[in-house]
Amino acid sequence: MANLNRSIVRLTALGGLLFSLGCGSSEPPAFRLNMVAMTSGEVTVAEDYQQEIANVLDGVFGTPDHPRVISETGLDQSLLDMAAGPAWSDDAGANYGLYRKHCVHCHGISGDGRGPTARFLNPYPRDYRPAVFKFKSTVNAAQPTDDDLHRVLINGVPGTSMPSFALLPSGEVESLVEYVKYLSMRGQLETALTNFTNDELGVDDGERFALDPLNDPEQGEIIKEMLAEIVEGWDAAGDQVIAPAEETAPLDDRSPQEIAQSVEAGRKLFYGKQANCYTCHGPTGLGDGQQDDYHVWNKANKLFMDEIANEELRIQEGWEGDDLTKEDKDDLRAREEALVARREVASTLYPVRNAIPRNLRQGVYRGGRRPIDVFRKIHTGIAGSPMPGIGTTLSEEQLWNIVDYVLSLPYEAASQPQRALAENIAEIN
Amino acid sequence: MLRSKPKHAFGAVHAAACAALLLTAGCQQSVSLGPVADEVAATKIREALLSGDGGGEVQAAESGGTGWATLKGRFVYEGTPPVMPAYDVKGGDMQVCSPGGVTPKQETLVVDPETGGIANIAVYVRKAPRVHESAQALTDSVLFDQKECVFLSHVFAINVGQTMAIKNSDPVGHNTNIEGKNAFNQTVPAGGTVEWPITKEEALPKAVRCSIHPWMLSYLLPRKDRYFAVTNEKGEFEIAYLPAGEDVELQVWHESAPGNSGAVVLKSPEAKELSWSSKGRFTVRLDPDSTKNLDLAVPSSAFGG
Repeated sequence: MANLNRSIVRLTALGGLLFSLGCGSSEPPAFRLNMVAMTSGEVTVAEDYQQEIANVLDGVFGTPDHPRVISETGLDQSLLDMAAGPAWSDDAGANYGLYRKHCVHCHGISGDGRGPTARFLNPYPRDYRPAVFKFKSTVNAAQPTDDDLHRVLINGVPGTSMPSFALLPSGEVESLVEYVKYLSMRGQLETALTNFTNDELGVDDGERFALDPLNDPEQGEIIKEMLAEIVEGWDAAGDQVIAPAEETAPLDDRSPQEIAQSVEAGRKLFYGKQANCYTCHGPTGLGDGQQDDYHVWNKANKLFMDEIANEELRIQEGWEGDDLTKEDKDDLRAREEALVARREVASTLYPVRNAIPRNLRQGVYRGGRRPIDVFRKIHTGIAGSPMPGIGTTLSEEQLWNIVDYVLSLPYEAASQPQRALAENIAEIN
Repeated sequence: MLRSKPKHAFGAVHAAACAALLLTAGCQQSVSLGPVADEVAATKIREALLSGDGGGEVQAAESGGTGWATLKGRFVYEGTPPVMPAYDVKGGDMQVCSPGGVTPKQETLVVDPETGGIANIAVYVRKAPRVHESAQALTDSVLFDQKECVFLSHVFAINVGQTMAIKNSDPVGHNTNIEGKNAFNQTVPAGGTVEWPITKEEALPKAVRCSIHPWMLSYLLPRKDRYFAVTNEKGEFEIAYLPAGEDVELQVWHESAPGNSGAVVLKSPEAKELSWSSKGRFTVRLDPDSTKNLDLAVPSSAFGG
């Protein structure tokens, strides 16, 4: 027993030693770049450019311990200060470092959805950096409103690992909403800077064109324009909320017959060739239709890994070619060299998962269970997912019919697992 | 005592696992996470951005040329043209997507067997120094059709300000999912048409997909002027009313060029004359009222072969 205890102490000490020596735990956490984006293009963003992009991002947004926003972002510095930095409480009981206290273990320091627990979750936590959010009231391509982010924090996302933070004081929730927007805007600027570097900079005739807004005022202007466009997108969200006309919305005091009529009309649309819901959600509504597509976050990683495999194949074929010149061989070696960094990035990625259409018979609604939440999903689709909208084709009344049908599915008396009912198959064929 | 033993054993395993986890998860990450910002450099950049006058006025590039000219050309594949396999069609819509058991061929690299011409190469001016009135953006509606579960325009160039009339000529439902700044994802009912106004320019074509039929793929190139072309089945393109007497830089893109950017890189002597870059760009300086004709041989290596 004593031996065992000693060994535990030893192991713990060893772990501590490894932690302190190997990982440099004394360093403050730092924002990291999106290495998939940095190494995925034909013209890989070279390391010196990566450093310059990191510097510009720090210049505009600061660090995880000291976020600093310039006024153009419209972000509230005091709210960010509450959310950023290490978690602590002052004598009066006010809490700071809220992001690291509540969010970072899943969503990561950089908001990349790659915190320590992320790998073990399904679905993976949201990566804020592309500023694509699924559960919101606005049209597909638009940013969420502050209210939307607030609602996700208060309700959590049912059916996922995202819990409710309804017990936090409202000021703390507000601070976290601001911090999520901050991480998103930062990610958007990173993408814009990466594209700019790929499109406009590079080495020409031995001369390297740096990303250097300090000495190139034109670049400074371009960066401000990028930022303005990003902020404009967030500011415009409130104008892009899907708001159906009040007179089309179903009344609260409908008779059972009226509800049944609407559900029946919705059922016909669900399995019909206009709305096509069944192609993905299945003739059963169990989500067992088309399952081969991906969410944008997974798709980016899949394309990255596919491209590595393709390049490996091309290089192999290259070596098998006849009459290779010295130039050919140098070229192939350079390409092999370039693959090393990409393989290293690929080794850090999580397994790619398919987007599985929602099983509509479970009665679990990730984006909210209010009829208006379901209405908006059917109207505009779900951003970042394969789910399309049908709002441009159907009338609002028809959309409400589908809402009624979808919300009735968990209560439909039927054996489990649900079979494709003959009457539904008749609509499909 | 006995009862507590397994607990301790678990504790030891736990500690070992923790140490292992720290070793693998905690430390391994530093390998490929890229650089961390340099605080001193970042602070200077911040001050420059805040002050707004980081070293003088931005000078507008002066236009040096006059007159207009036409650029024509042809991309010809060197070697044996690849044979396109059929699309990987599966699912419940086989009768429509594979009519009579015949599935449409893929279009990842379409080479004309007679002329060797390469179709679906996009050629467009990156930043026009001047735009002729005949090359100003249009504002009408342009048909974007799909039939037998194939987008009929494989590379679809359009103006910002124009509207895509997304049509579904199939008796089954499709959805059209556009990536990028003009993001869109709506179901297009059997036989129906959905309109989508294009509002943002893109530097490179963006993928257009159908989630119901995931093999369906097309590319959208939204541009602010008419200085674009997509090669026809003979590999030909023509761009008229280009600014003459000054440098004009063109981007050349094909979906099967290696890497994710689609940059077509040529290294032939003729390409060198056009200062063809590793980003798939070349530069011309045209004489007024002239027509320049480019005959460009494309080796299979330009597609990674």
